[in-house]
Amino acid sequence: MTINRREFIKANAIAAAAAVAGVSVPAVASNLITSSDITKLKWDKAPCRFCGTGCSVNVGVMDGKVVATHGDIKSPVNKGLNCVKGYFLSKIMYGKDRLTTPLLRMTDGKYDKEGEFTPISWDQAFNVMAEKAKDALKKDGPEALGMFGSGQWTVQEGYAAVKLMKAGFRTNNIDPNARHCMASAVGGFMRTFGIDEPMGCYDDLEAADAFVLWGSNMAEMHPILWTRLTDRRLSAPHVKVAVLSTFEHRSFDLADNGMIFTPQTDLAILNFIANYIIKTDRVNKDFVSKHTNFRLGETDIGYGLRPEHPLEQAAKNNGKTAGSSTPIDFDEYAKFVSTYTVEYVAKLSGVPEHKLEALAELYADPKIKVTSFWTMGFNQHTRGVWANNLVYNIHLLTGKISTPGNSPFSLTGQPSACGTAREVGTFSHRLPADMVVKNPKHRAIAEKIWDLPEGTVPPKPGYHAALQNRMLKDGKLNFYWVQCNNNMQAAANINEEGYPGYRNPKNFIVVSDPYPTVTAQAADLILPTAMWVEKEGVYGNAERRTQSWYQMVEAPTGAKSDLWQLVEFSKRFKVEDVWPEELIAKKPEVRGKTLFDVLYKDSSVGKFSLDEVPEDRLNDDARDFGFYIQKGLFEEYATFGRGHAHDLAPYDRYHKERGLRWPVVNGKETKWRFKEGSDPYVKPGSGWDFYGKKDGRAIIFALPYEPAAESPDEEYDLWLSTGRVLEHWHSGSMTQRVPELYKAMPDALVYMHPDDAKKRGMRRGDLVKLISRRGEVQTRVETRGRNKPPIGLVFMPWFDASRLVNKVTLDATDPLSKQTDFKKCAIKIVKV
Amino acid sequence: MKKFNLAVIASLLVLTVSPMMYSLNANAADKETVNTVATLRDHTPINVQKEPNAIPQVINKDIKQGRNYPMQPPVIPHTTRSYEVNKNNNKCMSCHSRHRTEKSQAPMVSVTHYMDRDGNFLADVSPRRYFCNQCHVTQLDAEPLVENTFTDMHSLMKKKAVTSEKH
Amino acid sequence: MTKNTDSTTCEYHVASFVAYPILAQLDEVKQAITNIEGAEIHVTSAEGKIVFTMEGNSYRDIGTKMDIIRVHKGIINLSPVYHQILDETDNEKNEDQYTEL
Repeated sequence: MTINRREFIKANAIAAAAAVAGVSVPAVASNLITSSDITKLKWDKAPCRFCGTGCSVNVGVMDGKVVATHGDIKSPVNKGLNCVKGYFLSKIMYGKDRLTTPLLRMTDGKYDKEGEFTPISWDQAFNVMAEKAKDALKKDGPEALGMFGSGQWTVQEGYAAVKLMKAGFRTNNIDPNARHCMASAVGGFMRTFGIDEPMGCYDDLEAADAFVLWGSNMAEMHPILWTRLTDRRLSAPHVKVAVLSTFEHRSFDLADNGMIFTPQTDLAILNFIANYIIKTDRVNKDFVSKHTNFRLGETDIGYGLRPEHPLEQAAKNNGKTAGSSTPIDFDEYAKFVSTYTVEYVAKLSGVPEHKLEALAELYADPKIKVTSFWTMGFNQHTRGVWANNLVYNIHLLTGKISTPGNSPFSLTGQPSACGTAREVGTFSHRLPADMVVKNPKHRAIAEKIWDLPEGTVPPKPGYHAALQNRMLKDGKLNFYWVQCNNNMQAAANINEEGYPGYRNPKNFIVVSDPYPTVTAQAADLILPTAMWVEKEGVYGNAERRTQSWYQMVEAPTGAKSDLWQLVEFSKRFKVEDVWPEELIAKKPEVRGKTLFDVLYKDSSVGKFSLDEVPEDRLNDDARDFGFYIQKGLFEEYATFGRGHAHDLAPYDRYHKERGLRWPVVNGKETKWRFKEGSDPYVKPGSGWDFYGKKDGRAIIFALPYEPAAESPDEEYDLWLSTGRVLEHWHSGSMTQRVPELYKAMPDALVYMHPDDAKKRGMRRGDLVKLISRRGEVQTRVETRGRNKPPIGLVFMPWFDASRLVNKVTLDATDPLSKQTDFKKCAIKIVKV
Repeated sequence: MKKFNLAVIASLLVLTVSPMMYSLNANAADKETVNTVATLRDHTPINVQKEPNAIPQVINKDIKQGRNYPMQPPVIPHTTRSYEVNKNNNKCMSCHSRHRTEKSQAPMVSVTHYMDRDGNFLADVSPRRYFCNQCHVTQLDAEPLVENTFTDMHSLMKKKAVTSEKH
Repeated sequence: MTKNTDSTTCEYHVASFVAYPILAQLDEVKQAITNIEGAEIHVTSAEGKIVFTMEGNSYRDIGTKMDIIRVHKGIINLSPVYHQILDETDNEKNEDQYTEL
């Protein structure tokens, strides 16, 4: 039988159409694709590796290699589409410089902080790690240990890490890179609703009459959601799109009302809208009286910098009370926002009055169903939690919430920032299912599920992301493990905090990554890591959709998943090595056991046998440990949320579905939370029930506009905003290795207004230096690119490992969420 | 090209029961290829920056580049500078739409672009496909920093066919 | 601008579709499909969904053929699923013969 290329692609075409029609593939096609050894091609589903949209993709495997990927037509998220990054997923695992052996800095055969990276075995790697961790424990206790994880970890990896750090090593010094991305959103949800994550879902995209983008460039950062929004806008002519940003970008291509505002004045615009709703008498009084409370928040809360920084010295309320508030009534609230008049806010923000009023009208008009989207513009903000609170205010004042198309929608950056970072609780202050380490009841629940003695989980919140870098620099955090992120490139203020922290001789830094990233370059030990479909896992996207995938290919020999690394490392510790005698005495049977036994194998994590792993499936991790570890971790984790409005379905079901939106109750997913009829947790007869709060009422917060941490002055005369681009995922460690994506966007340029360039004697392509009080970076000027900043502001993306813009940025954070503001600092630009 | 794989050597050494650490002097040349760091930074230390290269030109040769697999969106082989694609205009479609290709001599958009979200067939390109630049990108004349070893299915099959013939 | 490929014959196009006909006119629609040169029906589901492919030598060719079915009065809906183009210049066709042994 001769098979030619035509027949082969025709067979694939038939198979694709048959899948859509829901009929079995005709023999002629299936034989050609699957029976012959030469043409055997196996397709399977997986969530995309990149952003928080959570598209499903079909992955084609031949001879143990991914050979093709395309959008999954069965997925309700993307219905067969991908963005350009998603379409090139096939290539992300095949960069030639994949790491395949642990590399330790050595001189003359011994570890040396200043040595050269030298290949060693996994056994040797774990030996040196265990030695360094035990040294740190002995010298300074559990607080000298820390881990920086990821919203790109699988749910199981994040959960295994939380258990290892919080229960095993008894330190809360674990934080995810999602701290840079979603912490303010979490803070906003917890403060307003008492429960995390969006009430709405992507179905809002087909139901809304108006969309407002607040500091979100969806066209580049959530492209598939943008295709849905575009579809809605162009199919239904009455639909309006408003876009707000500090510079013009691709999302303005669809804007009916595009607005460029002065950085930080979004706070004032939000309060203006509330004022407008009140002044035009469009408050939904019935909703407000039944379902909300009003509170006045603490102000002048500082900027999350080091305590000795002048801004912190000057701030009145940057201590423990920064998040406090006092009850007020509607009239007091109305009075509070009444100073945010259109005249005042237009002047402050630079947005013309008529545009502000048109925007406010979208919210005020009771006939318009309005969905607000935001991402890093709100979250990476020194008043990020406030910005989140303020946008909820305007949806609550009008009752435009939790019904199709009426949706304040916080979008997520990473594929599992919701699933892994937030739901699992890999933050320094959190536990699974929205619980916190400070609360003794929450700790007791965790200890009970983990079958560990009372007092195992420490009550003090650990070091958050920015603080971890500071503590590394100060020599307080000495054993540090970074997994699944590239924080040396991603975190602000590399020069003053990150780099000196990693290179502090007191510290031992371990970095797990598939590729040699900038962070790996700053490490002492690099661990080669399996990625994406080289392992089995679960991700949770921005609409609460939990999606699983099977391992489809083997990782390159030598590379191991983050999960395997964490769990294998736990074998190196006896309980006696890490727990004090009085804790062991409460549960003497753990004596002599390893952390692997206590946390994984002998706990409920270990209760699913290998028989449950489908025989025809790869699962290197499970087969190596001798039990179905991914299922065990997932099911144990799910017990935290079941019955508490975070219900997940049984693990096996996710392998059959294109994801399900939690809470999944009686086998059914939930589309709109807090609304009677669509959320099973809502009390019957209540209409709406914000059950995260004891009285079922969400909070409308009176919070003012306060200035940014650093604004341009005479010397540093420009605002700098950083961000992502369509073609690259985050720091580019995967996408810069895909030739088509690299060639589409090879270098990070500084986008500036032509007049700003001219004023400085610069032209497009000129070599320039961006200089801040903290450092400098060189790049080339772009004056006619896709981003069009106003005069006085420049934009430079951070994907480029060779041009580290975070040498310039400021590590100011929101004092409430501890999330860094990457969108605002003051710089100057000079010609080189 | 260095074919020398340090990983293989490392794992062999584990098998030979060598509990002691050993040093394998990876020389500078090895660092170019296998298990080395800073490959995207041209091996520049973090506290140093190499001078950025000039902005590359967009490849504008109009030569179609083959696809790696079906459903991969073709890259754009020409410059799109000052192309307007917004809610009022779509410059791309003025050449690539079904009605214009005869005149423009440009390839027509694939028929898959006519299906809406619910699988209905439309007379024209679906609004969900409206912004071409979400999937189709131009290519700049820049040499990739790291080689990619992805192999497409046809090359794989060809290789196998050749191998099996030899046996 | 990229050169038109409509006039050349060095391209092989294959597109696959799912057609949803009015059940009473199923046979008629199937006949209409098979009447088209290069079209081939592979399977029909119990509900009457027809999975078929269309082969041709240019975008225009596929588009024109597609229109015949799209406007057929027995069609409720037509979903194009897949469209791939093989560039067969440089005698690639001969090179790409796979022999299964």
